[in-house]
Amino acid sequence: MTLVPPPFDPELAAALELIKDVISPGLTMDDITAMREGMGIQMLAELDLTVGGFFELDERTVPGPQDAPDISLFIARPTAEAVGTRPVFYHVHGGGMVIGDNKTGVTAALDWAKELDAIVVSVEYRLAPEHPHPAPIEDVYAGLVWTAEHAAELGGDAERIVIAGASAGGGLTAALGLLTRDRKGPRPIGQVLMCPMLDDRNDTPSAHQMAGLGVWDRTANDTGWTALLGELRGGPDVSPYASPARADDLADLPPTFVDVGSAETFRDEAVAYASRIWQAGGVAELHVWPGGFHGYDGFAPQAAMSQSTGAARLNWLRRLIGE
Amino acid sequence: MKELAGRLTALDPDAGAAVQVISYFDHLAEARAGLETLVRGAAVLAGCPARLVDGGRRVRVRVEPDGTRKDVDGVPDSAWPSAALEPGGVPALWLERPEGEPSVVDAVILERAAGAVRLVLDRTRGRAPASLADDPALVETLLDATVPQDARLHAARLLGVDPTDPAVRVRALAPSDGRPRLLTAGAELPLGRVGVGPAVPVLDLPRSWAEAHTALRFTADGTAQDPGPRVIYADELGGIALLAGLIAPGDDPPADVHAIEAAAAALPWLLATLNAVAATASQRGAAAEINVHHSTLQDRLTQAEHLLGWPVRTPQGRLRLQLALTMRHLARP
Repeated sequence: MTLVPPPFDPELAAALELIKDVISPGLTMDDITAMREGMGIQMLAELDLTVGGFFELDERTVPGPQDAPDISLFIARPTAEAVGTRPVFYHVHGGGMVIGDNKTGVTAALDWAKELDAIVVSVEYRLAPEHPHPAPIEDVYAGLVWTAEHAAELGGDAERIVIAGASAGGGLTAALGLLTRDRKGPRPIGQVLMCPMLDDRNDTPSAHQMAGLGVWDRTANDTGWTALLGELRGGPDVSPYASPARADDLADLPPTFVDVGSAETFRDEAVAYASRIWQAGGVAELHVWPGGFHGYDGFAPQAAMSQSTGAARLNWLRRLIGE
Repeated sequence: MKELAGRLTALDPDAGAAVQVISYFDHLAEARAGLETLVRGAAVLAGCPARLVDGGRRVRVRVEPDGTRKDVDGVPDSAWPSAALEPGGVPALWLERPEGEPSVVDAVILERAAGAVRLVLDRTRGRAPASLADDPALVETLLDATVPQDARLHAARLLGVDPTDPAVRVRALAPSDGRPRLLTAGAELPLGRVGVGPAVPVLDLPRSWAEAHTALRFTADGTAQDPGPRVIYADELGGIALLAGLIAPGDDPPADVHAIEAAAAALPWLLATLNAVAATASQRGAAAEINVHHSTLQDRLTQAEHLLGWPVRTPQGRLRLQLALTMRHLARP
């Protein structure tokens, strides 16, 4: 097998070089604590999550899974008076299953909600390795159930919930799609899987190609999945609600948007997931952005490809919501 | 794992910033990134809009600090930090930095971005000119009456001008940087002082060039020390052009010019005031032009007339003033 990696997009490569001091491809268990206390928190404190006063913000504590602690939902609602009920973007944050909170990466969903006059609900879930599977996905599911049941109270439309997440949040979003289908829970009208972390086996050609390169390489991915699954990782007994690539059946999922960079670990598992949805007779839109490293649109939002990536998502959501 | 670390945003002007800027543009240049990417890099790293304007090559790119392309019309502000693409050239890349907020890395950003832009322009537009003004050798061939007609027609075709089309008219341009250019319909004038020759058929371009070169001598920098128009069209000079044959560049100018120079040394407002009087239809218009009250203008003109030794408010005196100001430009070395 050849291990020549695809080149990074020139603009993204130059940006990656600038941020290499604060982000490295690999991550080990020993790094997790430092990352939790690191820059992410400072960055978030500087963000204006009201987006210039467009949203009013709320933090609700709602029941978690049975016999588990309550969970916290970050809720952003447009301050302007609604015309009818609003769609709801149910956001699941990223962070490799091991870091982050319900405000991590929520700006992407806020941007959509501003464009499409929607509500954002972002769920805080317990993190691995302290809380291995199924704690994270059960928290995410409990948050969706609460959101569907209380949508009207928020001014939202329970029939128009779109679930969305990036990276580990994309993996949990895919798992949520499977879980709510199988439990006959709330039925989202779409799912947005951005550079999703879908496969604990961590053994695709792209995972091997990109080892030691870019952001979130095979070592980091091994760390994240091992935190979530322990010794089960890569073995025969992994639940599809932890690792959606393990699902036998991808039929009856809501319309799915998948995007991924060609120069990242998750490329092949993301492409495979979209392909399997089509093979199961489902609806999916897949974008593979050439030369994109993992999370490029978050690290270098000004780059031409990041702008195109964001536009493609918004375009899909606009068609989905039917404005 | 996104959003774990910092985003690529405007740099802190600390010690490491310059190194990062150099590295960023080196990577873009190495990967042969395009113009918009380079201008975007300047805008993002500087945290303010960046603008590239190369009139001769018909390049106009403007990018906001959030990375979005947003071209605008209008002339760049001379107060913005800027860089030329060639040593001694006219400014072509600007950072739209409001006055009073300079950043120490601006100079590094401009220098590196301009260098990378020049490489792209040389690569993409140097060999295969996209517009008339691009290839100096071909342009010079067209402007040289001693070159055989066949060679000039061939050069015209290479420059994208069809010499067999009887409707085609082209102007020669003489910019102050000394590099001759051509102007076809719809193209932009280069920045800075420029003389514009008459629109002529291709084989008459040597004449257009000669007249453009003459017209250049009538131009001014448009500053307080050198007020007057930056652009002069040869076909609007009429008989005034004959003055150029009487005074060669560097000549000792006539006594009236010496009188103006001496008065200007004593009165800092003199040149702008006299130029306004010479160039506007009325004294009220002149006062408005230089933002002074009408009575202030009258006071100034009384003072000026005393120093110059001739009236500037009579028709004859005004002509004498116009001639003196014009000859002052013509005597410029």
